[in-house]
Amino acid sequence: MNVSDLTAPGQTPSGLTAPDRRRGWILPALVALAVFVALPAALAAFDRGYFYQIANLALIFVLLSASMHLVTGVAGLLHLGHAAFYGVGAYTAALMTSKLGLGFTVTLPASGLVAAAVAFLVALPTMRLVSIYFAVATLAIGQMLYLVMLNWVEFTKGPNGVIVTKGFELFGFGLSGRIAAYYTVAVVVTLCVVAIGRLSHSYYGNALRSIREDDQCADAMGVRTVRLKMEAFTLSAFFAGVAGALWAHMTGYISPGDFKFSESILILAMVVVGGLGSLPGAVIGALLLILLPEGLRGLGDFRNVMVGLVMFLSILLLPKGLLGEVSALGLVRRQFGAAWRRTAGGEGIGWR
Amino acid sequence: MTFRRLALATVAAAAFAAPALAADTVKLGYQLPLTGDTAQYGQDFRKAAEIALDEFNAAGKPFKVEIVFEDSRSDAKEGTNIARKFVDDKAIVGVLGDFTSGVSMASAQVYKEAGLAQLSQTASHPDYTKISKYQFRNIATQAQEGPYNAQWMASKGYKNVAVIAEQTDWGQSVVSGYSEAVKAGGGTVAFSEFFNRGLKDYRSLISKIERAKPDAIYTGFFYEDGAQFLKQLQQLGVKTPVYSTSAAYSPKLIELAGDAAEGVRLTSNFLPTDPAPNVQHFVTEWKKRSADAVPGQFPAQAYDAVRIMLAAVEKAQPNPTREKVRDALAQTTDFPGVTGKTTFNAEREPVKELVKVEVKGGAFVPVAE
Repeated sequence: MNVSDLTAPGQTPSGLTAPDRRRGWILPALVALAVFVALPAALAAFDRGYFYQIANLALIFVLLSASMHLVTGVAGLLHLGHAAFYGVGAYTAALMTSKLGLGFTVTLPASGLVAAAVAFLVALPTMRLVSIYFAVATLAIGQMLYLVMLNWVEFTKGPNGVIVTKGFELFGFGLSGRIAAYYTVAVVVTLCVVAIGRLSHSYYGNALRSIREDDQCADAMGVRTVRLKMEAFTLSAFFAGVAGALWAHMTGYISPGDFKFSESILILAMVVVGGLGSLPGAVIGALLLILLPEGLRGLGDFRNVMVGLVMFLSILLLPKGLLGEVSALGLVRRQFGAAWRRTAGGEGIGWR
Repeated sequence: MTFRRLALATVAAAAFAAPALAADTVKLGYQLPLTGDTAQYGQDFRKAAEIALDEFNAAGKPFKVEIVFEDSRSDAKEGTNIARKFVDDKAIVGVLGDFTSGVSMASAQVYKEAGLAQLSQTASHPDYTKISKYQFRNIATQAQEGPYNAQWMASKGYKNVAVIAEQTDWGQSVVSGYSEAVKAGGGTVAFSEFFNRGLKDYRSLISKIERAKPDAIYTGFFYEDGAQFLKQLQQLGVKTPVYSTSAAYSPKLIELAGDAAEGVRLTSNFLPTDPAPNVQHFVTEWKKRSADAVPGQFPAQAYDAVRIMLAAVEKAQPNPTREKVRDALAQTTDFPGVTGKTTFNAEREPVKELVKVEVKGGAFVPVAE
């Protein structure tokens, strides 16, 4: 785009050309329309608790997958213990509700903060580790947290699990009806995914990508790699913790089995099948791996085979994922207004 | 996003495409792990349920019953999805399952809200039936079994005991139910510890037990872990008597542990050798469908659970509703099952008759003392 384009008549006060602006909101508006109007309308039309349940579960896993995308996709740190932070969040919400009688308004942010604090503490000694060593360290962290949930019986009630007595609410206003619960989950997940989107499609995200591509080179260029890795890890745990609070209040009963290693692998599979480094891919991956097994229920015992086959073929035929990073970046830059911008004077103002 | 709507539409279409049932068919739901880590139990439950159902439908009743089996993989996510699905299906008047307490309790939150009776053949968590008036179970709880075993061991003169159990909600209830009874009876618990399910090496646990020098060891495990434990106990030459719960009562325990299982004493409420005609009928049917294998405790509990549910459905005729089925279940008194007579008390807990069993010569033999 040259200077003469920018001084053309269609230009807006902020210095961005009109077509740029228009393209920047059409797709986000469509997505918002689908999540907040079309889908709830369809759910209300069917009026079946089963569909609400699956929609909520899919949204929670969209958030888990998106939060793992930040650390594994963007920063390139293979994370094998993500479900444990999801569990820390869920346990924070469940215990604050059952022991202190607090509601969702308080437990939601608290779950994210506690998960982030735990992640920060365990991340301190592991941040100098690279590649496979970091992966093994996160595996150990995940197992450690899982064993704490399982064996610290006095505090977490161990394998007995915790009954969460309160559903969704906002400042004492109950949101436990089907449609209200859906909107609660949808609003929280959308806000978090937008936040993750801003983190990964910005200078900040680019710095994280530079660590993934070559951390020594990034270090030499003045990028504070250790600090950035730590931030990505902690932020991702925060969002996983938020997902945990949603799950705890939605289900009403949690036990350590919900947060074991296989859940971490499920979330990792969502990120990889969707496309490493691609946020829309992480969302699509989560939807696929939650909706597909449910949709295939009719096949009986073969459904696991079918799910495995779909995963295998998608990795084999689309090794970059269902929506690879390059096309995903192209998409968010063209359609979500995250492209490089200039002011009217031709001065670069950066991404978005 | 359009993908999700598409998938939902597909799911919806598939659900509506299901053939409409005749008016005289009653539907029940059964959620159980047919795949995954605990599939062996779920597969057995389905087999037991099919035996009970075939008998019922062949008996010339004025109505037929259909059971919808759904695979929960012992995963709470899937369990709650299934629960919602069952609740949505207005034709379903009662639900059986799940296998683990964790999944049963997560699903129970849905059944509680919807008012649909749930009868689990195995959920043993102390709080399970406290969730609401819709939760029932057909398994002797450790609050009943623990004191029974404590008394049995005390009568043998074992005053100083060690207790180990798997680290699950059920294992927790094994240890608490038993230990409290031992202490109340004037005995002492010299050692108590939990192990994780599927542990391969029990040697360090065994040497810790031996250091405490107990008169006897009380164990809370299922047959897979039990066989490993007993074999390693034999390898280390430990001769301390071992007692266990009805959960370990499976022919596979003897099959896997071999002569290491010799002398193990446990309680049960199902004996395949019992000459009672209903027991022999079940054992014969089971053998026919499973290459001559003998059924264990859990399939027998599932068989009875399904029959108790079927009896409740029959009692709720004509036009059974969810509420009528729940009330009929709650009134179950002295139901003559293969696991003895079952009565639900006011807390919807079954009161079971227990039998003492010892492994002798590679078989479970009932003993008087």
